[in-house]
Amino acid sequence: MMLLVTSGAVLALTCAAFILYQYQSYRALARHNVQTLGGVIASNSTAALAFDNASDETDVLAALHAEGRVTQAAVYDTKGELFAHYPAAAQPNAFPQYPGRDGVRFDTGALVYYLPVRQGGNSRLGTLYLRWDLTSLHREIALYALIAAGMTAIAMLIAYILGRSLQQQISTPIQTLGRAALFVSEKGDYSVRAPKLGNDELGALTDAFNHMLDQLTDDIEERKAFGTRLQRQLSRLDLLHRITRAVGERQDLQSIFQVVIRHLEEDVQVDFGAICLYEPHEEILTVASVGAHSRGTAQELALMESARVPVDRNGLSRCVRGELVYEPDIGASKYPFPSTLARGGLRALVVAPLRAESRVFGVLVAARREAESFSSGDCEFLRQLSEHVALAAHQAQLYDALQRAYQELRQSQEAVVQQERLRALGQMASGVAHDINNAISPIALYTESMLEREQGLSERARNYLTTIQTAIHDVARTVSRMREFYRPQEGRAALARIDLDPVIRGVLELTQARWRDLPQERGAVIELQTDFVRPAAAILGAENEIRDALTNLIFNAVDAMAEGGTLSVRTKRALRQEKRDAAGAGQSNSALDAAAAEGPVEVICLEVSDTGAGMDAETRRRCLEPFFTTKGERGTGMGLAMVYGMAQRHRAELEIDSAPGKGTTVRVVFPSASEAADEAGGRQLALGLPVRPMRILIVDDDPLIIESLRETLRGDAHRVTAADGGQAGIDAFAAAQANGEPFELVITDLGMPYVDGRRVSAAIKSASPHTPVVLLTGWGQRLTAENQVPPHVDRVLNKPPRLKELRAALAELGRSA
Amino acid sequence: MALLRTRIRAAAAAILIAAGVLGGRYAVAAPTAPQVEAVFLFYFSQFVDWPPTAFADGRAPIVIGVLGDDPFGGALDQAVAGEQVNGRPVVVRRYKSIADATGCQILYISSSEAPQLAQIMSALKGRDVLTVSDLDHFVQSGGMVRFILVDQHVRLLINPQAAQAAGLKLSSKLLRAAAGSGAG
Repeated sequence: MMLLVTSGAVLALTCAAFILYQYQSYRALARHNVQTLGGVIASNSTAALAFDNASDETDVLAALHAEGRVTQAAVYDTKGELFAHYPAAAQPNAFPQYPGRDGVRFDTGALVYYLPVRQGGNSRLGTLYLRWDLTSLHREIALYALIAAGMTAIAMLIAYILGRSLQQQISTPIQTLGRAALFVSEKGDYSVRAPKLGNDELGALTDAFNHMLDQLTDDIEERKAFGTRLQRQLSRLDLLHRITRAVGERQDLQSIFQVVIRHLEEDVQVDFGAICLYEPHEEILTVASVGAHSRGTAQELALMESARVPVDRNGLSRCVRGELVYEPDIGASKYPFPSTLARGGLRALVVAPLRAESRVFGVLVAARREAESFSSGDCEFLRQLSEHVALAAHQAQLYDALQRAYQELRQSQEAVVQQERLRALGQMASGVAHDINNAISPIALYTESMLEREQGLSERARNYLTTIQTAIHDVARTVSRMREFYRPQEGRAALARIDLDPVIRGVLELTQARWRDLPQERGAVIELQTDFVRPAAAILGAENEIRDALTNLIFNAVDAMAEGGTLSVRTKRALRQEKRDAAGAGQSNSALDAAAAEGPVEVICLEVSDTGAGMDAETRRRCLEPFFTTKGERGTGMGLAMVYGMAQRHRAELEIDSAPGKGTTVRVVFPSASEAADEAGGRQLALGLPVRPMRILIVDDDPLIIESLRETLRGDAHRVTAADGGQAGIDAFAAAQANGEPFELVITDLGMPYVDGRRVSAAIKSASPHTPVVLLTGWGQRLTAENQVPPHVDRVLNKPPRLKELRAALAELGRSA
Repeated sequence: MALLRTRIRAAAAAILIAAGVLGGRYAVAAPTAPQVEAVFLFYFSQFVDWPPTAFADGRAPIVIGVLGDDPFGGALDQAVAGEQVNGRPVVVRRYKSIADATGCQILYISSSEAPQLAQIMSALKGRDVLTVSDLDHFVQSGGMVRFILVDQHVRLLINPQAAQAAGLKLSSKLLRAAAGSGAG
């Protein structure tokens, strides 16, 4: 149709152009003709005009009859008046009244020509008017147009007819193709095929179209499959991500495994999921975790937690070497593990290794009831998952180990800090003790010698001196305890078998004012409960220490019960296993070390409980520190520290149960006397041995001690020389030796400026190896305990020296010397 | 031509004035025969070819002579004033006697010369001059062009043989325009 219109238009345009050209050329021709004709007529009209012969002119014009297209002609004289006209019969008023402007021009339907009439080049004689009819031209043009229109119509008709017949051959297949394409694009149905209507080019086009559809269908299928795969991959990745996150939030293996298996069961739809740990040495897999949905099957197959599965040669052995093993169908497997699973109705099995630091430490087991149901994507997913799980599990293990290490580090750090604190305190205490011992040494010596030698003392004076002696003795012991509460072994020598009951009763009686009378004055009532085990408990210990400790405990209990309450004191007998890792490890020291290996031992518990305020964690932690107190100005902070020291010296454990508002129970756990080795006794003093008078050199930097010692020893008939320093002592000894009156025994202080007791004794031993040297020291007990007795010293005596001990030592050494 | 028109216009103006004097009536008077003849005399110069010997040189004027009494008044002078024919000026000369009439190309013989016509004609014999007159039997007497009045129109009576004998070539158009030419 388009073609038809186009060709019609072209045809019409061509015709129009042709007609236009014809019209124009005809007009040009007409113009030319009228000019030629006009020239001839004008030339023939000159004389007629000049000599006023109108009839002649009429004759001339009549010649125009031969040219039918000239419809009018006229001649005007110089005045513009009509002179003659053609056709002669026409009315003069049919002609222009006056001649127009010279020249040719087109009037309606005609060509009009005015031209001057002259004879030769001379002046104008008149004007000729010609009218050339163009009606015929117009008729002609109209005819042309008609013919053109007719031709066009005919041509279009022919074209249409031809087109119709061609359309049958071309349009129909193309329309069919178009319909097929439309259907495909609208419905998205690529299975449609265009019917082939011939074997020409259009047939080939149809084939190509169908082929294209085939390829499109294939392509789309492929893309869909790809998209599905991608989707699946993405969801797996997402799942992996979720599992990894869930796993990452957990720190212990068991919950990591449970999370993983739960996801496997719920999101990957495995029918059986488990994680086993691998023991490389035993070639055994231990089931560590089984999924919630897999429990039924696992129970049936005896694959519950901690079930052991030997690594057989097939899949599992490959897996523990680090390979992911996929058994598409284990229905007919002859290996034990797959066939076990097959008995539970499982057919497809994947075993993925859990590997950390290139060591397989477990396997992830996933199985489905349908054979060949794991795609390669599933396997890949399981492989990646197992890697993540392995990593997380490994990290959990590392974390656990780190936590343990940190815990241990913290504990040892605490212990070290505690020890350091006690050590510093001990040093200080030791220094203080040394000075006190030095200070009270003369008092002790003088008092003892006065009581012994001054027979004329009144009874009262004797009593006073006795009291002083006891007090000094107590001071010395107290100092020694204060100094040594951190040194458990040092007190051993003083341990003796003690029945606890009378000691406790004595203490309760002595402290009655404190726990009964004082509170009553405030209106508070403290009730006492006692409960003593039968048969009565006996321990090895120092009675005074135990008494002091108990007193302290009772005071603490009473102080904790400002509003009154119940004070309980009881003894118990129990069997205890050695507990090194108990919370009290740092404080309890190695109370039961010796008995540890031999299982439970019998212990005696001394318990003091109150129903008072109790302690918070911080107070509980620090309560054993020396100088730590909750009592402000009233407290010294030494109470529990001394109890602790006592416990250590008695190889006892100190246990404290307390919580704010719940009261406090302090329990001292002693080894029972029957268990503890009876080490009491110590050195038997060489009492009563006769002491022969000797030449004795005393070396000390403290004049009071020198004086008191000299007095005392002189009282025993010894000849005593004193030197007030180390160097002076050595010089005096050398001088005496040179004079032939050597000293038979030397008593030297340990701590002296410049030359101390060690050097003095070394010098004396080098000068006279057989002269006994007695070292007198405020640190004496430390030296013995630490086995630091200097090599050249024969005996170490503590300050303040006891006359009895001194005499015993002199007697012994003097005898051997 | 402009000349004729001017002239006629001047005449018309005179007549208009006369008419106005005569009673205010608007009337157009046709030109008189002498006026027409004067113009015709001038036009002959365009339709007649003279032999080269007729002129002294290429630029010599065409001379229209009037022998005897001038019947045209000033009409002839007006008719030729400023005109040129074939590159030559046109002048009017008046003669009393034929003897004076030399060097003219067109000679109008006035009716006043009727008595000496024969003498005049013989004097002109063999001369290349176009002879024109109103006189009866002028053509028979050997004249070339005679003005005659037919139905109030001035018409020409031409004797081509006489012209041919004088060596003049008359335009065929002149001959056709002349009524009864050759009839004498």
